[in-house]
Amino acid sequence: MPIKPNVRTGNVDWTGENPGMLLKTDPAGDWSVLMLFFRIVWSPVGPGNILLLYENPNKNVGMPECCNVIMADNEALRDYIKTGFIEKLGTFSDVPAYSASSQLKIDKVVTEGDPCGDFYSETVIGDGLSIKLVWEELGKPTALELPPELTGTGEHVMYSLLVDSKSCFVEVNGRRLEGHPVSREQAGLELSTAFLYYSETWIFPDR
Amino acid sequence: MQRTPVNAGVVEWSGENPGIYLKEDPDGDYSVVALFFRIVLSPHGRGVGAIILGDPDKAAGYPDIPNLCLTNNRPMMNYLIDNFASKFPTMAGKPAVNAMSWFDVTSNIQKNGDMPNSYTEELSAGDLTVQMTWLDLQAPMAIEVGPDASATKEHDMYAVFLEANNAQISINGNPLQGQVVSRQFFGRTMSTAFLALSETWVSPR
Repeated sequence: MPIKPNVRTGNVDWTGENPGMLLKTDPAGDWSVLMLFFRIVWSPVGPGNILLLYENPNKNVGMPECCNVIMADNEALRDYIKTGFIEKLGTFSDVPAYSASSQLKIDKVVTEGDPCGDFYSETVIGDGLSIKLVWEELGKPTALELPPELTGTGEHVMYSLLVDSKSCFVEVNGRRLEGHPVSREQAGLELSTAFLYYSETWIFPDR
Repeated sequence: MQRTPVNAGVVEWSGENPGIYLKEDPDGDYSVVALFFRIVLSPHGRGVGAIILGDPDKAAGYPDIPNLCLTNNRPMMNYLIDNFASKFPTMAGKPAVNAMSWFDVTSNIQKNGDMPNSYTEELSAGDLTVQMTWLDLQAPMAIEVGPDASATKEHDMYAVFLEANNAQISINGNPLQGQVVSRQFFGRTMSTAFLALSETWVSPR
């Protein structure tokens, strides 16, 4: 039976949530902190949570000197996302911290707040770390459907629900990391480098 | 279908919305209609809920008849029922929707570690426990539909669907009667048990 145009014929790579923060202390300088969190509800290697956090992206060291970490509760998923996704995002993979990051375990993730309210947060706990991610000054939810030329990998079609955030912070065991979000552009929208992405699906191009 | 990268419409809600529709007679109406909701964004906040219509044509609630709604966010669930679920073809006009008994959820356990073999959502409200289990899950497919093809006939909808070849619903360990059947869905012959993940509903402008 022919497939109607509203069913994508490309395979689903993964689907879930993918909020992030890219922070600077000097708007004209390098990134001071980079963070991506993944709550994946389906992938070929199962569901799970992953946190990629660079306290200093340009430092070629991990814990305990510097909180450059990749935490996960599904190691196969961590490796799948690292090679198939993060390594296609130059901002996160073309920095010394990527290969130096300590690979740690997630024991628990606690969600608080409301993306339609004043704040939203995820607290990732494991291996002696409690990392709190907080997004504030939240924008209007916007549904996106991006073609490959507008996605970070340049290879996928991507559905997502964006909530922009003008203010955010990261705390590692109560210690706040330095930096603030800056402005960016995506699909013609003027946005911040702090963002929530819900119901995000990465799809290989139609066959 | 004309689509644009940025949907100018108003986002209504987003989350997960798997369902199980069962029949005792393959040629008859659905004997069981059930939907689960895990909402990450809505005008009424976040939460979980389930609608279980064990006898959709009967205007009666639990425990007399297994027609019930469980949730940890009643305003959210009322919004979802009034504006979405009650307009779905499987629930539209069914007397059980207005007659079902409501319960406040005290715990939700999601068992998703054994995909694709099985996936379970368990909701408890005090002594009452409802389990919905999807078995033998198939490969996911990403869909996008406009008002012409969405279940409400009013919204744009994006989602990832995984067909389940079998499914079960139990209330306090007692299974509801009926079998999964096949139906035409987005141009394919698919089972009436499905996971719907990463689902976003938008009111078009």
